[in-house]
Amino acid sequence: MIGNRVVITGAGVVSPLGDSPAHLHDSLCRGISAIKPIKLFSTAGLGCPLGGEISDFDATKYLGQRNLRPLDRTSRLVASAAQLALDNAGWSIEMRNDQEVGLVLGTMFCSVHTISEFDRRALEAGPAYASPMDFSNTVINAAAGQTAIVHNLREVNTTISTGVTSGLEAISYATELIRSGRARALLAGGADELCFESFYGFDRAGLLCRSDNSAGDFPIPFDRRRNGSALGEGAALLMLEDVALARARGAKILGEVVGHGSSYDCSRGRESGQSIDAIDSAVRQAMNDAFLLPHEIDCLSASANGSQTGDRHEAEGVRAALNGQTHKLPVTAIKSMLGETLGASGPMQAVALLETMCHGVLPGIPQLDEVEQDFPFEMARSENQEVDVVNGLINSIGFDGHCCSLILSRAEA
Amino acid sequence: MDRRIVITGIGVVTPIGIGCEQFWTNLLEGRSGIAPVKTFDTSAYNVHRGAEVKEFDAEEYVLNLDAAHLGRASQFAIAAARLALADAGVEIGSLDRKRAGVSMGTTSGEPREVERFDDAYVSKNLDRIGPEFIQLYPCHVIAAHVASELNFAGVNTMIPTACAAGNYAIAHALDVMRAGRADLMLAGGSDAFSRITFTGFARLGAVAPEICQPFDRFRKGMIPGEGAGVLVLEPFDRARRRGARIYAEVGGYGLSCDAHHMTAAHPEGAGAERAMRHALADSCTNPEDVSYISAHGTGTPTNDRLETIAVKRLFKDEAYRIPISSIKSMIGHTMGAASAIEAAVCALAVFSNRVPPTMNLNEPDPECDLDYVANTARELPVNVAMNNAYAFGGNNASLILRKGELLN
Repeated sequence: MIGNRVVITGAGVVSPLGDSPAHLHDSLCRGISAIKPIKLFSTAGLGCPLGGEISDFDATKYLGQRNLRPLDRTSRLVASAAQLALDNAGWSIEMRNDQEVGLVLGTMFCSVHTISEFDRRALEAGPAYASPMDFSNTVINAAAGQTAIVHNLREVNTTISTGVTSGLEAISYATELIRSGRARALLAGGADELCFESFYGFDRAGLLCRSDNSAGDFPIPFDRRRNGSALGEGAALLMLEDVALARARGAKILGEVVGHGSSYDCSRGRESGQSIDAIDSAVRQAMNDAFLLPHEIDCLSASANGSQTGDRHEAEGVRAALNGQTHKLPVTAIKSMLGETLGASGPMQAVALLETMCHGVLPGIPQLDEVEQDFPFEMARSENQEVDVVNGLINSIGFDGHCCSLILSRAEA
Repeated sequence: MDRRIVITGIGVVTPIGIGCEQFWTNLLEGRSGIAPVKTFDTSAYNVHRGAEVKEFDAEEYVLNLDAAHLGRASQFAIAAARLALADAGVEIGSLDRKRAGVSMGTTSGEPREVERFDDAYVSKNLDRIGPEFIQLYPCHVIAAHVASELNFAGVNTMIPTACAAGNYAIAHALDVMRAGRADLMLAGGSDAFSRITFTGFARLGAVAPEICQPFDRFRKGMIPGEGAGVLVLEPFDRARRRGARIYAEVGGYGLSCDAHHMTAAHPEGAGAERAMRHALADSCTNPEDVSYISAHGTGTPTNDRLETIAVKRLFKDEAYRIPISSIKSMIGHTMGAASAIEAAVCALAVFSNRVPPTMNLNEPDPECDLDYVANTARELPVNVAMNNAYAFGGNNASLILRKGELLN
């Protein structure tokens, strides 16, 4: 790592398991699952009827009474999480008027629902009936743009879309901008909404756990009975700052981004050797970037979501990157409870990991009965673990080739 | 690792030509790629013209993947990437594949795949959309397909910042290389002609009925287009070592956000000015050193007026000296590809000391009173070129390219 140190001074999260880092962590530690029958849209004719939806989401709770009509569900999730993160970090609107704050958002789809609705309206009623206001939300940077307007974020505003890894890539991108001095204060994280149009693609591809699965309805990462993931939704943002700025304004420092790495599996998950190699490469880059050795990684927040091949690739890739030193490594996989929240997933893991670092409790993986025999994770457990984490590794691994790893360090006492 | 990053290859797929040479020749001659839309039936619309890519055969460029199972934006991106690598004289086999990366921008990703889904949905034939769909419609597949086709296992990023996305993707590639995270990056943008985009701009009343005439007093709007532009970026020392032709150095960039309105630019051009200012500072360029500006220049009444205001706010009197042109007058608005193709134009301008014209500029607009290189290409020393791009969401990006000869 070269350049300015990047610290985390705030976190905001909107999820089916809570709308604060503490609430989310508490739900995860209680083993509460967000995966329930979906109410947002009809799942008739689909294989999987389940998802992790935020059933009572109301953006006015976070943003107050203002005109939210131009914002679709994804934009409302992001604008809400941004409000929470700015509040948590103590970045008042007055401070934002003086010093520019930016936003780097990772999202896989932004709102493919909005895009599709706009198009279907034109198809069914004629192009003259398509809504110009909805059109402005059909661009994939809509949520980032809308959130910038709501919160007056005039610095860098970038949307990153790399599938499941989008959110973690956004944090990496923002980290580089602060390291190089290009920006000093950036919200960074990710979001995706649960909607029929994204759900359909995953369901038809057989990536979701099926209701007729003998192992039950839920994703069980690393278990030998695992049989697919479940989709979820939410938004999670971190406030990243140049350490000098954070100290100068007396901000509470929650943790530090010390390393990141990215790679791409050209076989898009089809060839195990290449997939494992890509994960190995991303984790190694992150450790090199952080100047850390395998035994200095104190826990893993895995990307594993219950996928047959994906979980195996991650287990093998991490084993390779850590030179086989994984048997004592505490492992959690919060997608077991949140589901696969796509662009939000990596940032959700980051928010949960900050809580783990602070409170010393790593959530278990509910229903994990028997870790697949040859997986090198003896410390993946169904029950919570007491841990002392200085450096935590977060993985984000797409089913179709993208790999991203991030290392967070605990704030110095 | 040399932090000076240079452009050694250019690949473009445009409505006026595929490949750098054909495109550049037609551009300097002022040829137009705007014609009646063929992609879909426009009879239900009140506008009917677009800038589509003609005679494109994906099979010529997609050699390892199955071209028939790729969206059009991915096909364009792969073609532009292969053309750029060939132009750079890079042997793919000579690269460390883990240090070869891709950074692409887009507005709509693969909209035609979403449209196919919508057609099936509306006609109650969703069964036609099968398990391959998930590999086709998320926007990140464009950068992914390029990398899979070329076997590039390094950084792979998709930046969907709408109509400024190409500049964002090139800027990101510059940062990746400055940080020493790659030996070579392919960077650019790609978009396919789309019913969704056409419908949207038509509903905004932003589409011109006949021609695109940026900065003209009677300009009537933009013309939706499609295409791709990809640049090969390498560290200067590496490029020099292998004896590569250097088009230009990527000097720096600036980003900003209006935080004002989703589709309308800031009324005083404040965001656009900040992006330009950051780009000058990042590249240690003085305003008087800028030889050419490639405008966003969509041809809508508002954009061209506000862009002019922003340039004047930053450059003051210098603004009247700097030649500015908009190639959208010829190739339409190629969306996420636009600023990537325009970055290619800046690189070619810096390399050849020629700048393309703004076509169809007949009646000067009192509110657009700068030098827009009306209707005829011009020869002049181009040491530094600035590439401006603005997007929905208030996303602004400016890029600075400068002469490779200045490097030593």
